[in-house]
Amino acid sequence: MIAQNFDYTAPATLNEALTLLAKEDVKVLAGGMSLIPLMKLRLATPGQLVDIGRIPGLNYILEGPGVLRIGATTTHYEVESSALVRSRCPLLAEAASYIGDIQVRNRGTIGGSIAHADPAADYPASLLALEARCVLVTANKERELALADFFVDTFTTALEPGEIIKEVIVPVEDQSTGTSYQKMVQPASGFAIVGIAARVRKSGGKIALARVGVTGLAGKPYRAVNVEKALEGTAGSATDIQQAAAVVADGVDANSDLHASADYRKHLARIYTMRALAAALSRAS
Amino acid sequence: MKISGSYTIPAARERAYQLLQDPAVLAKCMPGTDHLDKVGDNEYEMKMKMAIASIGGLFTGKVRIADPNPPENFKLIVEGSGKIGFVKGEGLLTLSPQGDSTDVRYDGDVQVGGTIAGVGQRLLDTTAKLIIKKFFEKLSETAVG
Repeated sequence: MIAQNFDYTAPATLNEALTLLAKEDVKVLAGGMSLIPLMKLRLATPGQLVDIGRIPGLNYILEGPGVLRIGATTTHYEVESSALVRSRCPLLAEAASYIGDIQVRNRGTIGGSIAHADPAADYPASLLALEARCVLVTANKERELALADFFVDTFTTALEPGEIIKEVIVPVEDQSTGTSYQKMVQPASGFAIVGIAARVRKSGGKIALARVGVTGLAGKPYRAVNVEKALEGTAGSATDIQQAAAVVADGVDANSDLHASADYRKHLARIYTMRALAAALSRAS
Repeated sequence: MKISGSYTIPAARERAYQLLQDPAVLAKCMPGTDHLDKVGDNEYEMKMKMAIASIGGLFTGKVRIADPNPPENFKLIVEGSGKIGFVKGEGLLTLSPQGDSTDVRYDGDVQVGGTIAGVGQRLLDTTAKLIIKKFFEKLSETAVG
């Protein structure tokens, strides 16, 4: 199908983009992997697109003190294949490698993915497990927000009108931490029916830290704090993992669609949490 | 698509029931709706401007309240259509006292058709839940204020 007519601007700087955003009926275009299909189906009919994909200063992966800073228009493929991300934050590289297909990963961006806030997107599970943050800018201010506060609900974020995501800040992983992202894929769309990101660190034979991010199960991605608490302090045996994973969907209003009922999704979440925790533990030293 | 759930409204049952029957309150609480026009007994016309993420569209439709049984339950019948599809639904709202508050339970069956159903199947359930949640959050605010 063909999209409804719209104006298109490709500003050269972030400031120029922010000025253009002040108008009504404007949408930011990054990789276009979510927005363009919606426009072609006329589910989205913005009057103007501001293409930030050509702003040179928004595509980077830099290492700072204890963190990686990833520019908003960095593509999934760039994250997946970056030697820096692979060595400093392997979980994020692994999650990026699971997104959609190679065409989507070549075009889609980290900023675009989190701004769209699809409840089944891959990145959020890992970003929550990593306790990542994002930097949001407007024409005259800049703020930093934890991703946990950024995802408000289905397709709903804390982005205010006129605001653009500048970068995502991910803590550099301690070398002894083991991580894993495990996903049940919906083959037609490539989205996660359920996706679980796990991070674990052991100290003196006990699990000292556990972080679990869940996507696809509920209206928004979340951290399964009850699983983390159940696992921390244990030895991380198969039974410990099973008992901790059993509570991942407790109290969650699970999504239901043609592909998976709510009960089946909850079941999958428990299974994939076990798998992700086991894989993460096997990688922890 | 079956939808069900419940919310607690911080108001006594009689008041919660009244709020749910008041077209001005309904208009205020439905996301993207300015006002309801009365077209018959317990029947209203409305325009709803849906805007969830990038998906946006204007829906026009009708809301009807049927089988009122104050203050316990009533039926809400909604139908709407727009360029991106149509929605038809019927739900039973049951109010039960919960201390000083009221537990409002909804059980409904919604049919969605058109483009939005064809391509949005993966997202219908979560989107419907989001709209309902927004409605009840606004209603709770109204009940308190």
